[in-house]
Formats: sequence, C-alpha cells, structure tokens
Amino acid sequence: MGSYLKTVIQNLLKGPSTDPYPFGKTFEPKGLRGKIRFNSQACVACRTCEHVCAGNAIRIKEAEDKSGLHFVVWHNTCAFCGLCEHYCPTKAIRMTADYHTAHSQAEKYNYVEQGFIKYVPCSCCGKPMIPVAAELLALAYKETANVEFLAQLCERCRPGNRLRKEE
Amino acid sequence: MEEVFRLIFHALIFPGGLFAMIFGLFLMGLDRKLYARLQRRVGPPLHQPFIDVVKLMQKEVLIPRTANQRAFQLAPLIGFAGIMMAVVLIPIAGVYPGLAQSADLLVLLYLLITPALALIIGGSSSSSPFSAVGISREMMLTLFYEIPLLIVLLTVAIKAGHFYTEAATFSLSKITGFQQQTGPLLLDITMLPAFLAFLCCIPGSIGTVPFDIPEAETEIVEGPILEYSGSGLILFKIMGGIKMMVLAALGVTLFFPGSGDGFWLISLAWFLVKCVVLVTVSVTIVRASTGRMRIDQAAKFYLKVPTGLAVVSLLATLYAINGM
Amino acid sequence: MKNALKKIAIQSPWLYRINTGSCNGCDVELATTALIPRFDVERFGCKYCGSPKHADIVLVTGPLTDKMRDKVLHVYHEIPEPKVVVAVGICPISGGVFRDSYAIKEPLDAYIPVDVNVPGCPPRPQAIIDGIVKAVEIWKSKL
Repeated sequence: MGSYLKTVIQNLLKGPSTDPYPFGKTFEPKGLRGKIRFNSQACVACRTCEHVCAGNAIRIKEAEDKSGLHFVVWHNTCAFCGLCEHYCPTKAIRMTADYHTAHSQAEKYNYVEQGFIKYVPCSCCGKPMIPVAAELLALAYKETANVEFLAQLCERCRPGNRLRKEE
Repeated sequence: MEEVFRLIFHALIFPGGLFAMIFGLFLMGLDRKLYARLQRRVGPPLHQPFIDVVKLMQKEVLIPRTANQRAFQLAPLIGFAGIMMAVVLIPIAGVYPGLAQSADLLVLLYLLITPALALIIGGSSSSSPFSAVGISREMMLTLFYEIPLLIVLLTVAIKAGHFYTEAATFSLSKITGFQQQTGPLLLDITMLPAFLAFLCCIPGSIGTVPFDIPEAETEIVEGPILEYSGSGLILFKIMGGIKMMVLAALGVTLFFPGSGDGFWLISLAWFLVKCVVLVTVSVTIVRASTGRMRIDQAAKFYLKVPTGLAVVSLLATLYAINGM
Repeated sequence: MKNALKKIAIQSPWLYRINTGSCNGCDVELATTALIPRFDVERFGCKYCGSPKHADIVLVTGPLTDKMRDKVLHVYHEIPEPKVVVAVGICPISGGVFRDSYAIKEPLDAYIPVDVNVPGCPPRPQAIIDGIVKAVEIWKSKL
C-alpha cells in the first residue's frame, strides 16, 4: 500500500491527464487505419481487394444496365485490417485516418464507401471495357509504348495495336 | 408542544432527514471526485450522486418473480430508517446536543448494523445466487469489523466514564463534554491506537475497497443489491452516503469534537470539515491505493490489526485508570 | 418539470457490458475508455455497473453466438426501461469476420433493438465515446 499511496498523492499533485475529447481536440497516432476512401478513377477492377478482404466487406458487382461496376465497402463489417490497401495495385483504395465510426441504427446499411466504375468503349473494337488507369499501363509497358493511346483499348486489342504503333 | 416540533425538526430537517441526505450524497460525490483525481482522471461533477438519484427515480422498478415480495420491498426502508435514526443520535458540538442524554452510544452501535441487516434481508429475499454469496460475505464482514469497533467504543466510554467517576459512560453528549474540558482524545497517546482502529473499521462498515467484498462488482455483480432497481436502489445508495456521514460524525464526536463555543454556523462548518477530512483519509485515499481483499484476508486483517490496536488502547486506558 | 428532470437524468448514464462471444478486443477498449485516465467516461457521469438491473446504456461486444443467444436475451430483458443498446465493434453489428460461421445465425439486431452502432475492430476509445454521446441523445428521447 505504501508505494501506491505515494503514487496516488503524486497523481493528485500532477492533476488530471484526461483528453478533452469530445469537448476538445484529441490526438491521432501515426498510421491509424480508419475508414476507407475509394478512388474510382484509379480502379481497374482487378478484384484483389474483394479476394483478400477478411470481413467480406468489399463487393464489386456489375450494374444492372451493364454500364459499369459498382464498388462497395460496408464499413459495418470491415475490420480495418488494411489488406485491401496493401494489395491494391493502383492505390485506388486508401485508408484514411477518420475513426469517427459511431452512427445510428437507421444508417446501418448506408454506412458504406462506394464508387462506380463506368465502362468505356474500346476505341478499336467498340466493346465496353473497364477504363485502364494510365499509372498501371506505365508500370506494365514502361517506356515502350504510347500509354495514352493504349489506355483506350481493351485487353484483346491492346497487344496487336501495341506492336503496330511501334512500327 | 414546542418540544414535539423541535423533535420533528431534528428528525426531518436537521441533523436527520434532509441535512443528512444532502451531506451524505455530497460526501459520496466528493469521494468519487477525489478518487478520480487520485487516478489522474477528471471524474464526475461533485453533484453526481444527486443526479444519479434523480435519474433512478425515472427508471422502471423491477421485482424478481421468485423474490419474497414484501421482504424485498421493505428491506431498503428498514436500513434507511435505521441509519436515519442513527444520525439524530450524534451530537454536533455547539450546534446540536443529541437526542438522548444517556446510553445513546449503545443504541447507535445497534443502529449502525441496520444497513448491513437491510442488505442481508434484501439480498436473501431476492432469490439470486449472487446475492446469496454477497450476504454470506456481508455477515462475515460485519462480525469482523464489529469486534474492534466495539472495543474502541468501550475504550472511549471507560476513559470518559473515569472523568465522571463512573465505570463507563455511554452518553455521547457526556463524551463530548469531557473532551471539551480536557482536550480532544486524539491528542491522548493512549487513544491513538483506538483512533487508528476506528479508521480501519470505517471502510469495512461502508463497504468500500479494500473491504467491498460483499458487493464485489467484478465477481458477484454487486451482491445483495444486484436485484434492486429504481427506488430501492436509491434508498441503498443514500443509505451508503448517510452511513459514511454517520461514521465520520461518530469518529469526530469520539475523538475530536471541537470546543463548541462561538457562533453555531462556524461550529457546524468546522464539524463538516472534520467529517470530510475523516472520510477522505479513511475511505478515498485507502480506496485509491489498495485492491480488494479476499474475505479470509479481511478476517485476518480485522482480527489482527484493528482488534490488536483497540486492545492495546483499552489496556493502556485501564492501566492509566487503575494503575494495574 | 418533466423536461427539467429529463435534462438532469441524462447526465447519469450507467453503462452495462454484455459480451456475447467477443474476442475481448472490444472489451479491452471499453475498459480503456472507462478506466485509464486519458479517456475518462466518468466525466459524463457514466459508471460501469455490475448488475443489469442498474443499467441505462447497454454496450454489446462480440458476435451473437448461437449458444449465447438465449442468455443474452435473458439479461437484456432484466434491464429496466428506458434503455439504449450500443453495438460495439463490427461483430454484433454484422457478424464481422465471423459472419458466415455456423455458430452465428443472425446479427444482434435480429433479436434486440439496437440504437447505435460503433463499427471498428476494435473501435477507438474516442469512437466509443462518440457512440455513448449518441446513445445518451437517444436515451433522452426515450425517457
């Protein structure tokens, strides 16, 4: 009891160390994994995130009118493990530091981050395809091709056109 | 007629009834606030127990179907009535002379057990196994802390009785008067062990850490008061506060009642300050710096330390009086 | 008068924890929220009570496992009205990473009316405080 007595008296003299939250500012540790932000421009719908998601929170589904793909993260089953961010090749998925997750029951099924990946027609054959991120093509073809031109082609037309362009 | 009004005033407003409730709840709030500060927390506001009481009034009252209804509902009232009567008996030097003039210390000793008794009645009638464990612990704990408490009271009674050339005086007003003439007993070296023993009895009697064994929240989910909700719980909470006040006031009366001359408001304030200090030392600081004991450890502690101290004090007093 | 009493009463929300099969992660965060000096919920008058009969706000952690279901319902009905349920962590809300397990038939809100959800695995103490503040608002409307 003696050493504890010393500690409690010291505590009394030091004063409270309580964070003022929710009335004041709080701190954020570095590398905090909060809610997910999705950038539909960079997404190539490779579905790696859907595959690695521990909580089965990510769904990529084709729209009913076949005009594109719906990407949905339901935060209410997301374990904030960060695997999707780790495996995303184009950095379309980012974890933000936003940890304010409390919400009412009415919002339960709307508590999502979503994006729509709209199909674009292939400039060669006209087939609807997922737009390809220029970053990814640059990674794949290095400096050997005209990346802006290739980005408008579907995966079938791309190899042949690549060769033709280089001639 | 005037005498009747005076009694009613003392029973309902001061020092019993209203005053006791407010001061008891205030002591609880102070205890919680200081406890938080001792742990480097901000803690609840000082008036938190009052808020709790208002909140509990608006809650639904549930009575277990398997409980003995009448005993279950009456138990908090018994304890509340008992502790309220105990408040009226304690004199406040210079403000209030106390209700009875003789043998009130003995009555007080009986009345001090009523909250524990209420817990035992209520717990055993609530038909909960957790309560059953709680009341068996409460009974054991009561036995342990009553022994040193009894010896302490006896020591003070003998000491004061010697002054009045009696065998022992069990009148609180006489004990107060004796100290006003010869100085507080706290400064008497032979009474110091008795005072320490009394301090050790306070947390056991109120049931705070390290002696919150009957109500251990984390193991037997608040034991005897587990099944109480709403108004019954209010009574038990207020009872705890008033018991804290009664024990502090008893300690003040037995060991340093103060001179009592001068303006009554100053005497009252001085009395309240002494109560607060006593509660802070014996309840809050002890609560913040220890963990809960097991019932056998508490038994060993009470039968060794406070009983030993009290017996030392008793023997020293007898030696001083009779010269062996 | 009733409004004034309500305003006073909401300053004393007593918390009760039910673990319905949690991994203890959220329980540790709850303990942290209450006990360590940095996130002191006693500032709002909160107190963790051991008995369901004393509770106002129920914090449920863990997926509602099949074995625990009846016991949880039993304890839930012992809590006097008005009460507010807060689901802490993703497990009681949706099942979380255990969602399609044979041990979990349905999420918590299929059996108990949940009022506030605080997802996270586990949620930060600040998020739990947010949830408690939200729950107190709902509690006020129920009083």
